Amino acid sequence: MNRPAAARHAMDRRQVAWAAAAMVFGGAPHLFMVTPWVPLLVLAIALWRILAAARGWRLPSLWIRVPVTVLAFLGVALTYRGVAGVDAGSALLLVMAGMKLLETRTERDRIVVVLIGYFLLFAVLLREQAIWSFAWLVVGTIGITAALAQTVRHERLLPVPAAAVLAARLLLQALPLAALLFVLFPRIPGPFWAMPETRSAGISGLDDQIEPGDIAELSLSDAVAFRVRFEGAVPPAEALYWRGPVLERFDGRRWLALPDATRESAPDRTRVPGPIYGYQLVLEPQGQRWLLALETPLAWSVPHAALGRSLQLQSAEPFAERLSYRARSASGGVTRVEPPPEVLAYNLRLPAGRNPRTLELAAKLRSDSTAARTYLARVLQFLGSGTFSYSLTPPPLGVHSVDDLLFGSRQGFCEHYASAFAVLARAGGIPARVVVGYQGGERNPFGDYWIVRQANAHAWVEAWFDGAWRRIDPTSVVAPGRIASGIEATLAATPVAAERLWRANAFINRMVLSWDAVNAVWDRWVLAFGPEMQADLLLALGFEVPRVTQLTGLAIAGTIGCMLVMGLLLRQAPRRRRDVVALAYASLCGKLAGIVRARLPAETASHYAAAIASARPDLAGEVDALTALYLELRYGAPADPARAHELATRVRRFRPRAAPARR
Amino acid sequence: MRNYRQCLQAWLARRVRGWARRRQGRDGRSVTLDSRRIYIAPTSAGLVFALMVTTMLAGAMNYNNNLGFALTFLLAALGVTTIYHTHRMLAGLRLQLLGAEPVFAGEPLDVRLTLGNDGATAREELHLGWDDATGTPVSVEAHHSRIVHLPLATAQRGHHALPGLRVSASTPLGLVRAWAWIHVDAQLLVWPRPAMEQIEPPYSGASTTPDGRQSAGDDDFGGLRDYRPGDPPRRIAWKRYARSGELLVREFRGGTQATAWLDWDLLPPAGVEQRIAWLTRQVLDAAAAGRSWGLRLPGLEIAPGSGSAQVHRCLERLALAMPTGPAAP
Repeated sequence: MNRPAAARHAMDRRQVAWAAAAMVFGGAPHLFMVTPWVPLLVLAIALWRILAAARGWRLPSLWIRVPVTVLAFLGVALTYRGVAGVDAGSALLLVMAGMKLLETRTERDRIVVVLIGYFLLFAVLLREQAIWSFAWLVVGTIGITAALAQTVRHERLLPVPAAAVLAARLLLQALPLAALLFVLFPRIPGPFWAMPETRSAGISGLDDQIEPGDIAELSLSDAVAFRVRFEGAVPPAEALYWRGPVLERFDGRRWLALPDATRESAPDRTRVPGPIYGYQLVLEPQGQRWLLALETPLAWSVPHAALGRSLQLQSAEPFAERLSYRARSASGGVTRVEPPPEVLAYNLRLPAGRNPRTLELAAKLRSDSTAARTYLARVLQFLGSGTFSYSLTPPPLGVHSVDDLLFGSRQGFCEHYASAFAVLARAGGIPARVVVGYQGGERNPFGDYWIVRQANAHAWVEAWFDGAWRRIDPTSVVAPGRIASGIEATLAATPVAAERLWRANAFINRMVLSWDAVNAVWDRWVLAFGPEMQADLLLALGFEVPRVTQLTGLAIAGTIGCMLVMGLLLRQAPRRRRDVVALAYASLCGKLAGIVRARLPAETASHYAAAIASARPDLAGEVDALTALYLELRYGAPADPARAHELATRVRRFRPRAAPARR
Repeated sequence: MRNYRQCLQAWLARRVRGWARRRQGRDGRSVTLDSRRIYIAPTSAGLVFALMVTTMLAGAMNYNNNLGFALTFLLAALGVTTIYHTHRMLAGLRLQLLGAEPVFAGEPLDVRLTLGNDGATAREELHLGWDDATGTPVSVEAHHSRIVHLPLATAQRGHHALPGLRVSASTPLGLVRAWAWIHVDAQLLVWPRPAMEQIEPPYSGASTTPDGRQSAGDDDFGGLRDYRPGDPPRRIAWKRYARSGELLVREFRGGTQATAWLDWDLLPPAGVEQRIAWLTRQVLDAAAAGRSWGLRLPGLEIAPGSGSAQVHRCLERLALAMPTGPAAP
């Protein structure tokens, strides 16, 4: 029974190719994720291995494999300056998979390569959780599972489509249990041993310091900062101030955030006048600690987050994953929370010797007005006098940045005016600070939520007077349209990013928005699924106080139930093809057995009919006819289904009476 | 170390098999595998797979990664699903032992089995082997059956008891293996191994013509006897058959048709097995020469005859004569 060596060799070759395919399914997306030489090296190894199997080349000896492996590992370590983290880990996994493929001889080796394929796929998901990752999860799992099915075969391989269908079918059958576990497996928040690395590099977003021009640069980016869905009332566009970092230190040119480790409790409702809005926010990863919230946050659902001294919501650790949370905020722009005196004093500090003309102007304006309120109104009046213009590309400013803006270029973006206003306020003896965040947003009609992009980045001022921090947005006097109708309308005439021109087309914008709506649903229901939604689910199921133990019980019970159902559905049922003819004849015999006698085991149908006819001549006609029909269907030429149906019907209607004599 | 592990594994396998055998009892020649006798366990690949899924779960929990959870649970559920599929490869499988033609000791018996699949799905890559051997894979399509030839090595003449048969499957993904043991009480005949060297038996006739053709003037006609399968057609009394319908064969005494007596007592002194080997060789030689022969063993005599029926008769007696103990060579 030994198969010819040639056939075995051919099968072996194809199995090696399948193992390599599993690696490609798991590793292909890494081409765009890790340093390019690693996937290219592995791809080259995979191709070489397939060729080697085809041509019968000898696999490299240990003397070649070990140095190559060591070199590749060193290469990864040098490229990533270490081997910790998802990226370096993925690269190492790729190298390991390639090296394993290089020594793949036995079935066991091939299985290891296929399992590494699954792991590579997992690493892809750790990197990227967009919809396309999910699509690749589906494709990749089918591919790798098909490879596993082929790898463990001994007799003959399945044709490629059959292998794919087998894998897809198995996964489809596994889907209910997988979905059940996904929903019910208790999710315990928080990392256990390693923080996800922050991937701030290349991510554009707010920073905890601004120089003139930073936000203008950011506003060219169409990248999404976060999406927000209001629960109930929606604030008007001019109240959509999303607070980010609060900058209190001014060095003459830059504004910087102070290190702030304090954890304040949420301000009392009575101290923050204005309407309150509830919303759910999905924040894109930005590698920073602060969480964006509307104006003054009162409640939030992020466990490790707290308010800082400047009422900025921040989490304990920087986060690198997309974060979803619910919050409630007051958006009146007034917060009556008195800071400690030293904070107020700090918010008055100006660097010595900088911006002398601005200080001069402040002194002049201040001497004319007694109340802080009137002074600030006059400053706003000065800025809104029409001599200042709003520009994405203002000329660069020098050491005396505010002087240069106010008395020189007279062109600036929001951070220029915020900086100038804060300096003027401080110079006038009013504590003031710059707040960076986002203003406005684009409502997506397809999903009834708001998209806030980097282009919405904004800077404004909070000043302390009359016993409250009050929001003042100097941009609103320089370019009133910026706040009322959004950044796009204001900058329509300025040269902006090609991306935005592209979106100016209404049809394309609709497409972009509907795709964004799909993504938002994805983020909201799939990626944001966690302990909170599980608790909601338990509440919906009628548990009063959601607990992990209940969830565990549900998960176990559900798994057992699911496995029982699977056992029923997937059992090998000896499904006899329904034989209408045999069933009908058996039924006829059953009827006759009741009133005449049973058919003997070895009795032919004709003999039985004859015996019945002699015992009960009155039944002879029908029994003979039915028997003849049965014999024709059973032993004659291929019968047509109509005749079989006729037999079944006639047998059903045949109701012989017991013999009168017996009655 | 490796030896120690192998020994331990073999010992464990024997114990489990013994337990299963006591539990199941003896099987008839036809067996349908039901769930009660199908055992299932993860393969080493399955254990590695489980370890991988556990690692993924830890990673998904640490990074709180929902797609990671999705893949982890999908693979875990996939592993569970394959249990049913692998079990289904064996559940309801019909096996019927067809038997084996006798062979000479040392040659493998060709044991034939029917595998019947009444189920709606194909049974892929079933491995059939004696005792704990893995065997070669065979597949049976849905609603089909096929005959499988399983070689079984022999060493001694006599009745060869059929060892336990193991049917196993690990399709579709090789993560779990299902298997069943079948213990059929069947004795398969193994003929003695013929001796290498020839010892001419003493012939009772004077002259021989190797083809046994009847010569002219032959008057040693010994009478008619009933036809026995294997008798040469030319010795059938066709005229008599035409008259009466009785199939008779002409027998000759002496004359040209030499009849040999293969006699235990006429052999040179030697051990039991050696003598049986010589006699076996003599039977085969006589049959090859087309002669007629009789066989005398202690306490047993087979009347002279020829043809394959006589060969089978003699070889069977030789196989079973003076049963050898377990220690016999």
